[in-house]
Amino acid sequence: MELKRLDNDDLLTILGTLNDFAERELPFDKRTKWDEEDICPEDIVKTMLSEDVGLHLVFIPEEYGGLGGGAYDVYRLSCEFAKKDVGVATSMLAVALGTDPIRVGCTPEQKEKWMTRIAEEGLIVAYGVTEPEAGSNVESLKTKAERIIDENGNITHYKLNGVKQFISNGGIANLYTILAKAPDGPTFFVVERETEGIEPGKQEEKHGIRLSNTTQVILEDCIIPAENIVGTKEGQGIKHSNEVFGFTRLMVAAFGLGGGLSALEKAIAYSKERKQFGDYLYKKQGYTHKLIVPNAVRLAAAQAYIEYVAGLLDSSEEDRQIEGSVAKFFSTESGNKAAEDAIQAHGGYGYCKEYEVEKIKRDVRILTIYEGTSEIQQNIIGVFRMRQVVKGKGKFLVNMAEGLEGNDTVNGTLAAKAAAFLDAAAYAAFKNKLSREQHIIFELATSIAEVETAIQLCKAAAEGDDKLKQAEARIWAAEVAVSAPTRMLKAFKQSGKVSDELMKELSIKADIAGSIDAQSGVLEDMNLVAELLVQD
Amino acid sequence: MKILVPMKRVADPDNANKVKISPDGTKVTSEGLEAKPNPFDEYAVETALRILEDGVGSGNLRGEVVVVTVGGDDTVRQVRQCLAMGADRGIIVQGDDDALDSTIVANVLAKIVEKEQPNLIIAGKQAVDGDSNQVAQALAEILGWPQATFAGKVEVPQDLSSATVTREVDGGAAKVKVQLPAVISVDLRIVSPTGVQNNVAAGKDYQDGPRYASLKGIMKAKKKKVDTMTIADLGVDQTLKVRSVSFTAPPQRSAGVIVETVEELVAKLRDEAKVL
Ligand SMILES: Cc1cc2nc3c(=O)[nH]c(=O)nc-3n(C[C@H](O)[C@H](O)[C@H](O)COP(=O)(O)OP(=O)(O)OC[C@H]3O[C@@H](n4cnc5c(N)ncnc54)[C@H](O)[C@@H]3O)c2cc1C
Ligand SMILES: Cc1cc2nc3c(=O)[nH]c(=O)nc-3n(C[C@H](O)[C@H](O)[C@H](O)COP(=O)(O)OP(=O)(O)OC[C@H]3O[C@@H](n4cnc5c(N)ncnc54)[C@H](O)[C@@H]3O)c2cc1C
Repeated sequence: MELKRLDNDDLLTILGTLNDFAERELPFDKRTKWDEEDICPEDIVKTMLSEDVGLHLVFIPEEYGGLGGGAYDVYRLSCEFAKKDVGVATSMLAVALGTDPIRVGCTPEQKEKWMTRIAEEGLIVAYGVTEPEAGSNVESLKTKAERIIDENGNITHYKLNGVKQFISNGGIANLYTILAKAPDGPTFFVVERETEGIEPGKQEEKHGIRLSNTTQVILEDCIIPAENIVGTKEGQGIKHSNEVFGFTRLMVAAFGLGGGLSALEKAIAYSKERKQFGDYLYKKQGYTHKLIVPNAVRLAAAQAYIEYVAGLLDSSEEDRQIEGSVAKFFSTESGNKAAEDAIQAHGGYGYCKEYEVEKIKRDVRILTIYEGTSEIQQNIIGVFRMRQVVKGKGKFLVNMAEGLEGNDTVNGTLAAKAAAFLDAAAYAAFKNKLSREQHIIFELATSIAEVETAIQLCKAAAEGDDKLKQAEARIWAAEVAVSAPTRMLKAFKQSGKVSDELMKELSIKADIAGSIDAQSGVLEDMNLVAELLVQD
Repeated sequence: MKILVPMKRVADPDNANKVKISPDGTKVTSEGLEAKPNPFDEYAVETALRILEDGVGSGNLRGEVVVVTVGGDDTVRQVRQCLAMGADRGIIVQGDDDALDSTIVANVLAKIVEKEQPNLIIAGKQAVDGDSNQVAQALAEILGWPQATFAGKVEVPQDLSSATVTREVDGGAAKVKVQLPAVISVDLRIVSPTGVQNNVAAGKDYQDGPRYASLKGIMKAKKKKVDTMTIADLGVDQTLKVRSVSFTAPPQRSAGVIVETVEELVAKLRDEAKVL
């Protein structure tokens, strides 16, 4: 299987460039000041996209002047960038998002025109989909694209009218990809900033990512040439926006991982310098096992899953919407939790600004909202994975877990057992029409995310000889073997729609008592993880 | 015009505190640490590029910049990083870091100079790992070329026939003029906005610091040539003149103590620290 990936040396050099760039342009004192004053460092965004740096070239195909990196490369870049600053990273994300409809929807000639300019001129791009009344539900958009027709009946121009909401880079972009309703349906259009009739609104005052520029974009009789349509016909916009989700959601998932990891690293460092009750905080088991270890475990699971999805995306042309959703949902929620706990781990100092975890917490908070909220991801995961289980006649997750049964180094048996149970639960939910209850779908989605990440973490840990990863895999598999079935059985019972007989059958399959029995040794593993984490 | 820039790979200086001493005490190991080009050598690459550029940041060079390293096979990444900054070509002379000293490196470089016939050699003033600060000087001596060390400022005439080098000294600056070919070693200040004056790219200042290995540069670097050879190929005597006997880590700083009262402090200073 050939992977579409950059040469590893090149990737490392790129990450080195990102590091040098962040060290020089985004030092802590400047970021703190911009955060306080709500300033987007526009010059730095320009430098990032200029010939001198050019980070966006990673995701632009080679034929248009980029490096043509794969999902894995984009994940690594996004994760490292988020460790520096999620706000500035969002600016890069918006360029990627804005370029995506062009990448998936444009003709080769159109791509030659737009992509080459984005690559070479370092244009700041913005992605204009959301509207005041069309957020999660994109299809309720109101922005209109009217045809302007010449005497021969040819469409020469489109006239755009409407308001776009929460547009990243909205106030600083050179180029916008705008989704608007044409007579034949929602369609993407490329609009240049100089065009008359497109104006950004004022910058939103945000809770976090305050280094990222977010504005309304107002289109008022904005007339653009017909050739600025993405593709050759109207009505392809929703399809285009759906086709890129596997990729872009992976980027946001990587932000969650990067943000979470930087918060965790800060908490670990703090625990090694802070003494209370006569000893360092890292020596207190309650502290590490509540505030450090569980986050390290979840982030390891998120990372394994992200790398799994990147592998899928890089080895075939297929978009991976469900996997992208699992990655985004799980990783951004885990990043949030890690940042929240990092504040707690710093005590009163975490609540103040100087240790930065307070800013990280506000920054990562956006990640469960943009690019599809966590709830939207849960809907996708629950509904579509359930259908796959049904299609597989009650088998999907067990196939994913193949090879784990019997692997005690990573608690593979527990992961495999949880997988088999979830298959049964998803199948039962469908057969008993429980999927009409969104609550059940959401609980199913949460459980699926837990179990699938456990499967991938176990697999990744089983491959090498990384003691830390193996212990994390054992902990996570043991955790989800109890939490996922417990959550599902509870939800089924709550619905009042499951027969006693089926409840019993599922309980046997869940074997929660057996999984509790298998918990011995987990505390020791947590001790080991804590010990390895505080080591240099 | 051809400028040769020697570059050494070092362990990431930002993590210098993680360097360990081998159990037998005879070596410093940087296992698991990220490798980088020696920062002063990056400044040297930047200097070479600025000298040859026909406009500030133009990338159009009035000659060739060749980067040469003596080190393991895997130094290719650091060489490519310099090529991504804009150097034209790389040479790797394979050698094991533990089997090298400054004299061997200088002799290897002298052989490369013989082959390449550069007009100018620009080196970093020292490598941040060994801190030897010898290679540039030894090389000039072997070649019999003039040398100007610790350059904080370099000015060259349009015809590149000489170089006027300024270095900081106690309480002021010393200026020397060398005829090319020559060896120059550079200090941090050289990469300040006006560190290099080539009398062609006048008017605009450079940014502070060496340029990035831009992504475009990384792409271009893939097509640039990197030759590999061995020290034996060059016929250099590999007998070490300097042998490290042993290394000792700096003493661990023990944790401080907080005293409750002035009396306690005085007692501790007298009885434990014995400074009173
Ligand atoms: C800082 C920032 C930057 C952004 N950048 C961009 C950008 O560059 N381009 C762009 O086009 N958009 C951008 N967005 C918009 C973002 O994608 C939307 O905010 C997001 O999709 C949610 O839409 P909404 O805010 O209208 O919330 P709503 O859709 O109104 O959702 C409100 C709440 O209801 C929940 N909900 C909604 N529908 C359902 C359902 N069916 N079932 C259960 N719960 C549901 C949501 O999960 C959420 O919790 C950005 C937003 C922010 C805040
Ligand atoms: C906004 C604000 C207002 C305040 N107002 C007042 C005030 O009016 N008067 C006043 O006197 N104080 C006040 N405080 C101080 C506050 O009570 C302390 O911040 C708090 O007691 C925690 O102490 P700390 O910040 O030193 O954290 P630390 O004690 O250093 O704790 C850091 C982390 O380690 C954990 N930890 C500590 N010890 C252990 C242990 N033995 N085992 C496991 N985990 C442990 C903590 O739970 C925390 O997560 C205020 C603080 C803030 C932020």
